[in-house]
Amino acid sequence: MGPLIPNGLIPIEWNFVISILIGFAFGYILEASGFSSSRKLVGVFYGYDFAVLKVFFTAAAVAVIGLYYMDYLNWLDISQLYIQPTYLWAAIAGGFIMGTGFLAGGYCPGTSLAGVAIGKIDAIAFTVGLMIGIFAFSELYEVLEPLFTASNLGNPTLADSFGISPYMLILGFSLCAIIAFYVSDKVRAKVKKVIY
Amino acid sequence: MKKEDQFKSRVYWNPYFGGFLLGLLIIFTFYITGRGLGASGALKSVVVTTTDVIATEHAHSNKYYSQFLDSDDSPMNNWLVFEALGMLFGAFVSGAIAGRLKLKVEHSPKITSTRRLVFALVGGALFGFGAQIARGCTSGAALSGISVLSTGGFITMLSIFGSGFLVAYLFRKNWI
Amino acid sequence: MSTDYKFKKFLTRRYQLLASVLVLLAVGLVLLPKRIKNDGVSPELFVNNVLSDERFISSDDLADRMINKDPSMILVDVRSKNEFQKFTLPGAINVPLENFLNEETLPYLDQNIYDIVLFSNDNFFANEAWLIGNRLGFNNLYVLKGGLNDWFSTIFNPTVPPETANKEAFDLYDFRKAAALYFGIGVYEKESAPDVRNASPKPKKVTPAPKKKKAAPEGGC
Repeated sequence: MGPLIPNGLIPIEWNFVISILIGFAFGYILEASGFSSSRKLVGVFYGYDFAVLKVFFTAAAVAVIGLYYMDYLNWLDISQLYIQPTYLWAAIAGGFIMGTGFLAGGYCPGTSLAGVAIGKIDAIAFTVGLMIGIFAFSELYEVLEPLFTASNLGNPTLADSFGISPYMLILGFSLCAIIAFYVSDKVRAKVKKVIY
Repeated sequence: MKKEDQFKSRVYWNPYFGGFLLGLLIIFTFYITGRGLGASGALKSVVVTTTDVIATEHAHSNKYYSQFLDSDDSPMNNWLVFEALGMLFGAFVSGAIAGRLKLKVEHSPKITSTRRLVFALVGGALFGFGAQIARGCTSGAALSGISVLSTGGFITMLSIFGSGFLVAYLFRKNWI
Repeated sequence: MSTDYKFKKFLTRRYQLLASVLVLLAVGLVLLPKRIKNDGVSPELFVNNVLSDERFISSDDLADRMINKDPSMILVDVRSKNEFQKFTLPGAINVPLENFLNEETLPYLDQNIYDIVLFSNDNFFANEAWLIGNRLGFNNLYVLKGGLNDWFSTIFNPTVPPETANKEAFDLYDFRKAAALYFGIGVYEKESAPDVRNASPKPKKVTPAPKKKKAAPEGGC
């Protein structure tokens, strides 16, 4: 029950084998949905292609509903899953820089790997840039450390932070997703078409 | 014939279908390993290992690298690195099946490909920098974070897409 | 042209259906009755464990193991501190019943390496301690049958077997007498039997074994 490897139901040596398989599926889905194309990815910001929004919201909604159903049926223990720590200022500042990088480069790390795999040279440039950026960060770590470790709020879930039952949050999220899909289709019909 | 090929190579999956499969994959990943997906962590391991190989002393004295270098196990022996390898392979197979394998620079016809490459490099640097600060990228923090309703993931996602919309106007020449 | 329109309409209908399925599932999560999740042993297993007798260890077995200095055993006295100080079995640690779940002593109880023998005056309190531990999933708990009362009556005052009893009964009697000698008859205060008490002044160092602890999974991007 629960996450299988942390509970020892699958020996831990399988962890790496499984990770390769999961990565394979992840790369396949990303590429087949078209995320190896930078122009498709930034379409969501200019209104000519909302594939990112659709994939993202659908994946998140399916995943969160599925996980909470499994938790309800006692097949999974949600409290054992990895919930990342919340560093308030680091998340906001990092997110801002990432957003700028996303628009400039047109990729994100996962999709850039997909782009590299099919031979897009700009994806290769992006990946090299990623490594340069990581390198720069570690060199400047001394300076940035206060920002990096500021306001660690622990590992809260949204339910903990806002005091709303997680199920209501999931319902709200699903409704937002449906509305977002509808709106995105309307917007796309009005925006000038871009061929890529 | 060529036009057909061109058309065929642009046929992608229905995004809802792709999202549905991705959601199932996330459930599967959490169920088996208890953690979500990730991408930038693998590249961080590559950088750390490279620095360690080239300038070991500097790597150990640097406060950030040394966090990942303490054990005698190579930092490449990391879940994310194997997942990234799998991603490369999976995307390759998908591209091969759909006929999308081609070495090219994808850019808007209104700019040159050099300009595109420069922006890709700069964008990558910014993104890598930001991903380290925020401890995650869109797949690791935002996607997997939302799947467990994590506050950190939620904030990161809002921040990325929000700022993206804000700066989209500045980069419009590159894309539209 | 008309086929185009039909296609588009169908598409919208199909997506509406899918969207409503998604919303229905989410609503279902909200409306389902909340179940309380039990941590630890399931009720059926618990009843099984309670009814079976395998947790009981007799005074003879315990004496045997103590004489042989069985290293894999820890004695836990669940009576109050006063009673513990007046008299206890050599090498026992004191975990009064109300402190059973205290942080400092929990590592001794919740691990898989050592066998824990719980005892009290009779076996009532020790049994209660065992019930608590078993419900939480602790594996290696045993109860001294009859407690210290039985211990005294068998080891220190063994009944002399009648003439007609078989050899085993006589062997048991001899064993008990030897055990009484080993433990020092009439050990009531600390000072009167220094050698036995100081032989094991404090229990062994327990390293909480890598038990099936729910470790937080690693993660991150």
